[in-house]
Amino acid sequence: MAAQSILLFGYGSHGRFIAGGLHEDGFKIKIVESNSDYYEQAKEDGYIDVEYIDVTNDSILQALNPQNFEQLVCVMEDEHLNVFLTLSLRSLFKESYILSISDSIHTTKKLKMAGADKVIDLYEVSANKIYNILQRPVSTKILERIVIDRNGITFSETLVPKGSFLQDTMTDDLDLAPYGILLIGMIDEELGHTFMFITTGINHRIDEGDTLVCIGPKEKLDAFEEALKKERKE
Amino acid sequence: MKQLILSLALFLRKSKRYRAIKESVRDMLTNSNNPYKRFFDAFIIFLIITSVFILIYEVKHPVPQWLDNYDIYFVSFVFLVEYLLRLWIHTDLMKYIVDEYHDSQFLHREFELWPVMKYGVKEKLKYMITPAAIIDLLAIFPAYRPLRVLRIFVLFRVLKLLRYTKSIHQFVEVISNKRFELLTLLFLLVFIVMTAGIAIYILEEHINPKIETLFDSIYWALITISTVGYGDISPVTDAGRMISMLIIISGIAMISFATSVIVSAFSERLHELKENRIVEQINKSRSFLIICGYGQMTKMFFRQRRKTIDNYIILDKDPKLVEDARKDGYQAIVEDASRFETLRKFNVEHSNITILCLTRSDVENIYITLNAKSISRKIKVIARVNDMNIVSKFEYAGADHLLMPNQVANTMIRTAITQPTMYKAIHAILTGKSVARIDEIHVHEKHSIVDKSIAELNFKSSKLLLIGVERDGEFLFNPLPTERIRSYDILLVMGRQISLDYFNEKHEGG
Repeated sequence: MAAQSILLFGYGSHGRFIAGGLHEDGFKIKIVESNSDYYEQAKEDGYIDVEYIDVTNDSILQALNPQNFEQLVCVMEDEHLNVFLTLSLRSLFKESYILSISDSIHTTKKLKMAGADKVIDLYEVSANKIYNILQRPVSTKILERIVIDRNGITFSETLVPKGSFLQDTMTDDLDLAPYGILLIGMIDEELGHTFMFITTGINHRIDEGDTLVCIGPKEKLDAFEEALKKERKE
Repeated sequence: MKQLILSLALFLRKSKRYRAIKESVRDMLTNSNNPYKRFFDAFIIFLIITSVFILIYEVKHPVPQWLDNYDIYFVSFVFLVEYLLRLWIHTDLMKYIVDEYHDSQFLHREFELWPVMKYGVKEKLKYMITPAAIIDLLAIFPAYRPLRVLRIFVLFRVLKLLRYTKSIHQFVEVISNKRFELLTLLFLLVFIVMTAGIAIYILEEHINPKIETLFDSIYWALITISTVGYGDISPVTDAGRMISMLIIISGIAMISFATSVIVSAFSERLHELKENRIVEQINKSRSFLIICGYGQMTKMFFRQRRKTIDNYIILDKDPKLVEDARKDGYQAIVEDASRFETLRKFNVEHSNITILCLTRSDVENIYITLNAKSISRKIKVIARVNDMNIVSKFEYAGADHLLMPNQVANTMIRTAITQPTMYKAIHAILTGKSVARIDEIHVHEKHSIVDKSIAELNFKSSKLLLIGVERDGEFLFNPLPTERIRSYDILLVMGRQISLDYFNEKHEGG
């Protein structure tokens, strides 16, 4: 995956964790804070590209050139500020992709109205998790392991390159057993950019530019990706 | 004789079976959570009702012999047995004897049977003079037909219903809480009735032909003060009428006072009674959720899954939040879940309980976890942890699952940024909203898929994707087609709900 650049607003409890994760995954990040304590913390943690600014000021925001970043992530500790920031960013930069965190039901609605492209509701995801623990304890545990531990069994997204040996194969005939991985879904460009699970029972034709979502041990997924790049259709 | 009783006591004390039987009898008679108690209660209530029905019926009609026998022998016998059982389980006489024996052995003094027997019998007598026990005893006497007065004993059987119907029991309890006020009122009533009765007796005994004895005048005073006023006896002198007027006014005051005392007693306890009802109701179900704290998390949890949660109860210390929960249409009570008594109220023995500690405070959540685990290891606890640094403390406390809202959200955000497609997939799977959900199939011993290979099961034809198998705590990802399913495996499969249902239906039981 090409190194994306992310503009991260906020280095509080969420921001710190996210920054760490993104850094690990090789993303280019710029951190913006308006709280001096968090700003110092970011500096201390070794981030170089950190700015201490007043996020309520539009001209300062503009000076950050958010249009140069792929995603804008708003995770300020103060939820009022977070909503305000989302709104400012949306009004200033129509094209940017904005992701925000919300820690109450009411804020979620406000963030969506403010124009966030994606809102992650702290309570919604947690509430779901409680339900999952109650209903399917084992699968929850395993899925969690898959999501958190990135070196064991994990998910991967693989783009089908031009002239790949998989091209024109129907998903029902696709046999990934030799690779030791499972195909769980794909994004079919023909049917619009939507994700589809393999278990919906519709037989897809794999084309160039489709994305396959697989699950399996990390090294096997990597091997599969390599194979996909190398092997050409005869 | 002494030796005989002592050896009997020692034998019974040692016998596990005797103790087990006694314990189960006690449980059935006194523990309202015992599933059999309901049947036992229904049986006794049936006996009481038939017995009273026979009494009413025979006033005008001849009663067949078998019905008479049923009433005199069977019902009385059952009540006698019940009475003896209650007396038996009340205290443990044998324990006193054995304890005394051991004590005297320890002190090298001679073992005296009679003092301890006296003490034990005294304890039993204490039980026998409680109102409930007296009613039970009187209810045993059958209606001896030739003596009409004795039939009134049947009415004690009606009183016996008190023990078996909860609402009456609660009513009595509420009234007895206002004992002081009601006794004061009664004392006042007796005082006024006596004074007025005596006054009218002195004033009118010679003039009024209706008043002949003191009993007549006291009867008149009571009828007047209660504002019933049959009118069979009425004062004829001016002085007598003055007294009537006075006691009528005091009577009205007294009735309104009595009413207000009872009403206030109920309104004070109404809340509690209602909450007890909710707890009792939930205790009847075989498995239920206790949710501690009605905050954002709980609200969200319900908003998402309202339809699929049937048995739950919300506990919160804050009456305001409980009020909110009730307004939102949930079953909630004001209780502090960190208190031992609170969790003890629930049917720990007979139901599967899962506690969700969702309060904002970590300290409180830990406390609730410990509290639950100290009552029974069987209670499952899912605890919310806000501060990641104290996860280990929750693990020590014995929480079965931990929920870290911050961590969950952070992971989701990270995934959303780094792997947007995967985020969609995981989100869809976790919320179970879309076409794909991951579910687990718990293979029990008699499941028809036991010993079949994965190739044989052909998940693909059922439009399911087998992700892996959890066996003895280990997860086998993507097992080989030749792998055979064993009992107690947990299969992790992905697919649409209908595919899963169909698969389960096809292979269930077997």
